[in-house]
Formats: sequence, structure tokens, C-alpha cells
Amino acid sequence: MFHISSQKKYWTFDNEESLEQLRCEANQKYRNKMLASGKPGVSDAVFLEAHEENVLFRHYEKRLLDFCNAFKPVMPKSVVGTAIMYFRRFYLNNSLMEYHPRTIMLICAYLSCKVDEFNVSSTQFVGNLVQESAAGQERALEQILEYELLLIQQLNFHLVVHTPYRPMEGLLIDIKTRYPLLENPESLRKSVDDFLTRVTLTDSGLLFPPSQIAMTAILNSASRAGLSMESYLTECMGLKEDKETLLKMYDAMRRIKSLMKKYELPKPDEVNAYKVKLERVHADFGTNSNMKRKRGYEDDDHVAKEPRMTEEDCLLSMILRMVSLRAWWTKGVAVAFMYCSISVLASVVARNRVVASSGNHQREGTSHQPSVCVCVS
Amino acid sequence: MRWEWSEVREMDDQGCPRCKTTKYRNPSLKLMVNVCGHTLCESCVDMLFVRGSGNCVQCDTPLRKSNFRVQLFEDPAVDKEVEIRKKVLKIYNKRDFDFSNLREYNDYLERVEEIVYNLTNNLEVEGTKQIMEAYQRENRDIIQKNKAKLTREQEELEELLLLEQQGNEQRRLETLQEEQRQLQAKRKSKQALLDELERSHVPATILLAQHKDRAAQLETQIEKQKQVVKTTIFSTGIPMGQTVSLLTVNRLEEVLYHYQPIHMHTYGPPVPELEQLGRLGYLNHVRTAQPQDMAGGYNSGLACHRAIQDAFSGLFHPLG
Repeated sequence: MFHISSQKKYWTFDNEESLEQLRCEANQKYRNKMLASGKPGVSDAVFLEAHEENVLFRHYEKRLLDFCNAFKPVMPKSVVGTAIMYFRRFYLNNSLMEYHPRTIMLICAYLSCKVDEFNVSSTQFVGNLVQESAAGQERALEQILEYELLLIQQLNFHLVVHTPYRPMEGLLIDIKTRYPLLENPESLRKSVDDFLTRVTLTDSGLLFPPSQIAMTAILNSASRAGLSMESYLTECMGLKEDKETLLKMYDAMRRIKSLMKKYELPKPDEVNAYKVKLERVHADFGTNSNMKRKRGYEDDDHVAKEPRMTEEDCLLSMILRMVSLRAWWTKGVAVAFMYCSISVLASVVARNRVVASSGNHQREGTSHQPSVCVCVS
Repeated sequence: MRWEWSEVREMDDQGCPRCKTTKYRNPSLKLMVNVCGHTLCESCVDMLFVRGSGNCVQCDTPLRKSNFRVQLFEDPAVDKEVEIRKKVLKIYNKRDFDFSNLREYNDYLERVEEIVYNLTNNLEVEGTKQIMEAYQRENRDIIQKNKAKLTREQEELEELLLLEQQGNEQRRLETLQEEQRQLQAKRKSKQALLDELERSHVPATILLAQHKDRAAQLETQIEKQKQVVKTTIFSTGIPMGQTVSLLTVNRLEEVLYHYQPIHMHTYGPPVPELEQLGRLGYLNHVRTAQPQDMAGGYNSGLACHRAIQDAFSGLFHPLG
């Protein structure tokens, strides 16, 4: 629930100024880092200003939205909302110059699919990058996997995002049940959806609870359609006496609406100019950590493979040992051979049982031999 | 004879150091340990110590055949330590109430452990033995007193055990007798039935009914008898007839626990309960659950309740 979520505790801020502050700080931090590193060609003019970053941010955010909308199979709205929220949160504390938004965009979408349990395999995911060749898609996938952990870390591992879509549904149900004055709430649905899509492109998600955003959406659409819904708040929500809370609600709604009005799509020429700058920054100062990560992955595979080998080794040695031992049952060596074949079958069972054999492998192998003994005799 | 695989492996490990027979070749093989801590199988002991005394195979200490004991533990060193400990504790037999405070008792125990350790690992054997003798001389009377106390306690324990055993035996015999009696009663009633069927002129069905009645009565009697179990102990575990001390037990005053239900601040209007949703009419506006959904335990109220909760949660934020 939102009221106990990490979103409310850590990712809901008081006003837009604090958000601007954080973004400026991120920008400044990157600049200082680069200036301190003393690389050639570093100067203040090369870097992007905070407002330039803002323009680019909005541009890439729109591209992310388009990517999600064009996604096959159809992405549920909550997944889209979560992806955009991740994108926004990431660039609250990091600069666009440090991590290119093109990659982060895809990773946000990928992670959001996972978190929201919208099951898409990685190949299916990169298959949606229609403008790339197969090799390009491979490379994109590698990049995604490389930066995924970084994204999670920058989100401070707070992966659950509460989007306004379910509150919107809940409010519609409530209106239908308790507010008969409004005749057909379903007619509002389309404009509400529109509103919510537009609101995700603003900073509202970081400032207001999703239920307030949903309420704003519904009241706004109702007033646009000429229907009056004022008494909903006072009667149904029980705010007739509580003037203070009512005022605060109106204030919040006003602020959300103003945020939406302020939003505008970035102008293409500005975008291009800043993009050039960004690319240059990345080309000159971008750290290429591909090589290191690759080796890391290979190491992981190698480590994972080793216990398997020793498992099989130990079982083989067990079988050989069995054959070489004198059979002390009076039934003779034929039994030992039969035992061998059963041990091979038992190795399948062993693989399921012996997960991480540390220490004496042999002892592990012996623990389930009695069961095989029994079925032999 | 069948053994577990793990036991078989262990049999393979242990062996006599001299003749190298292991337990799996000769399952009835018994390993014996002596005071020096080295093992020998029974047959080797007989061979080497035919004259009653000889030297150990591995460490060459002079040994006597009578000192060999059957090995109880896998590791012969443990057996050796157990023997030494028994001997030491015969001399150092003070108990916890012999000391005025815990510190002294612990110091005493530490000294005992050191002695045992030294003797087991053959460190300063002479010095340790002298210490032991000195202690024995000084505390002779205390040792005697404690020995007497120990024997008395052991006797008491043995008596209790004996009593318990006797009680068990008696009960067993009684139940056996009961069963016998019941069997006999049943047989008699069957015999009586057959006799009556032969002799009397009453039709067979009535006789059978009568017989059934009697059998049922017998059953209930048996049941009632079984329920009359002799009570020998109270429910608290104190056996009947034992005198209980009437000294007052200290009262423990504890703070009574008061249940406080958890209160969750939702920063929004109150949400109706899950059970009320149907009555209040919310469920009319939710998609009805399909049979395949309901099979898993889902009902439309759950989704409705969650949507309402989400809608109301945080609505009045940041004030609540």
C-alpha cells in the first residue's frame, strides 16, 4: 500500500524546487568529477547545463513512452508507468552525461517488466528494437544486462512503484457505488486515461501520492465534460467538516494541473543541438567498462560449472569403487553390476539432492545409497 | 545380518594395527584398548599377551592383559581419556555444594581437567601423579565421606529404578490377564449360544438377538473397566503418597500483557471492510469472477477491496 511504501518515505518530495535542486547537484557532481580527473579537453563549456539536460531528458522520456506503447506484446499501463518513474528517479540523482539515456531507457523498461511481473524474455524484449539488426539487438541486450544492477542500485533498491492507474479504477468503482449524482462515470474513462498518460511525463509522480493524482484526473475530466462533482469530496470523502484537508486537496490538484500545463514537448532543433553535445561528452569522457564486465560474467559461469563437474566426478568414482569392492553380499558380483546401473539412475536423483557439496562428497553420495540398497535386495 | 551402508564404511575404516583384519572381514571382531591408548583386536591380544604381560606394539609401554577393555568409542584416545577420568574422579570427588562460591568450584574443576589432560596426552606424568597423591593424602576424610554419599545416592537411584521396573512388570501382567479373561468370557458366551441353539425351543433369531445383546453388554463392561485406570500421580507430576513440602514458593509478579490492536495510518478516508463490500454494493461494479478464477480461491471482492484501498491510501497526504 502506498502509505507504508518506500515511495512515500523516500521518493515523495515536497516541492518542485527540491527536485530541481537535486538535478542541479547531480549535474554539478559530474562536472566536478570530470574537472578533478584532469582529462584533456575538459572545460566548462563542453558540459551540458541543467536546463539543457532537462530538454534532453524530456526528449528521451517521450521516446521511452513511444517504445513502450509500440511494444509487442502489449505492455500494461502500470508497467509503462513504472518504467518512466524509474527513468525519472534515476536521473534525479545522476547526470545524463555520465550515463547515456538511450541505454538507461531500455533498462528501465526491461526492469519494469520484471518487477511488474509482465513476463517477457530478454530476446523477445530486444526483438522490439526493430531498427536494429540481430547483432545490434545482441549488443543492446548485453548493455542492458550490464547496467541493470547499476540502475537498481541508483534506485536504492526501491523497486515497487505505485502508479495512479489502480487508484483510478478504485475511485471509479467508488463513484459508481456511492455517488449516484454522476450518471455515467465510464464516459470519463477515456479522458482520464489521457490525463494520466500526460501526467506521467511530469514530475507529479515524485511529488504527490498516486491517489491524489487519480482524483485530480477524474475531477478534471468531469469538469471538462461539464459535469459537476464537487460534492463528491465533501460528502463521500467526509471532508465537509474538515476544511483544512479539503483545502489541501484542492491545492494539490491545482499544482498537478499547473505542472501539466507547464509541460511541453521539447523543440527538435534544441534537442539536436544538445544531443550533439551529449554524444561528444560520452565519446570523449565515457568510461568503457564493457571489457571488465564481460570477464566478470564468464567468471560467474565458470564458477557455476565447477561444482557440477565434481558432482559427476564423485558419482563416477563411487560407481567405480563399487565395482572394485568385493561384494560382501553372498549374491556375488552380478549384484554389483546391477548396482552400477541403478547408481547411474540414482545419479539423476543425486543431482537433485546434492546441491552444494562442500567437504566430503563421498559421504553425501553414500547418504542415499541405502534407499537403492533396499530396492536391490 | 544386514548393516547400513554408513556402518559398513566405518567397519572398513577401523582395523587392528597388527593383523590388519578389519571389522568387515570378521564382523564379530572386537577391538580392545589399553592404558596407553592403542588398540588391538581380541585375537592379537590373546596371542601377544599369552603370558599375561607384554609390551604395546606401537609405543612399547609395558602392559598387562587384564588392563585391556573393549573399545566403546571409535577413537581409542577417547576410550583412554574415559578410563583416566574415571580413576581421577575417584580421588577428586568433591561436589558443587562442597564449595562456598562458584569461583572456587570452577577453579577446582579446572584443576581436575588439567590433570586429566596431562595424563591423557602424556605430559608431565610424574608431576601430575605426585599432585594427585598429595591431594589424596590431604583430603582423605573428605574423599571417604563423598564416596559414602555417592554410594548412597546410587543405591537410592537403583531402588527407584527397581520400583519402576516392578510397576511396569505388574501392569504388563495385569493387562495380559485381563485379555485372557476377556477372551475366555467371549468363548464362553459363544459356547452358551451354541448350546442354547441346540437345546431350547425358542426360534433361532431370538436367540441370536439375545446373544448379541449380551455381547454388547460385555463390551461396555470391558470398556468401563479399561477406563478405571489406577491413578498413581497427580496431574502436576507429583506421585500420590509423597510428602510435599509446605514451604511457601516465592511469588513472581509479572506485568499483565494487554493486547493493543495495530493501528495503520492510511492518510486517507476509511476503507470499508472486505466482508461489507457486497452489502454496500461495490461488487456490482466489478467484473464478476469466472469459475476458473474462483477455483483458486479468488473472488471479486478481493480485487475490489484492493482497488478501493489503493484509491483511498494517501488521499489526504501530507496531513492525514
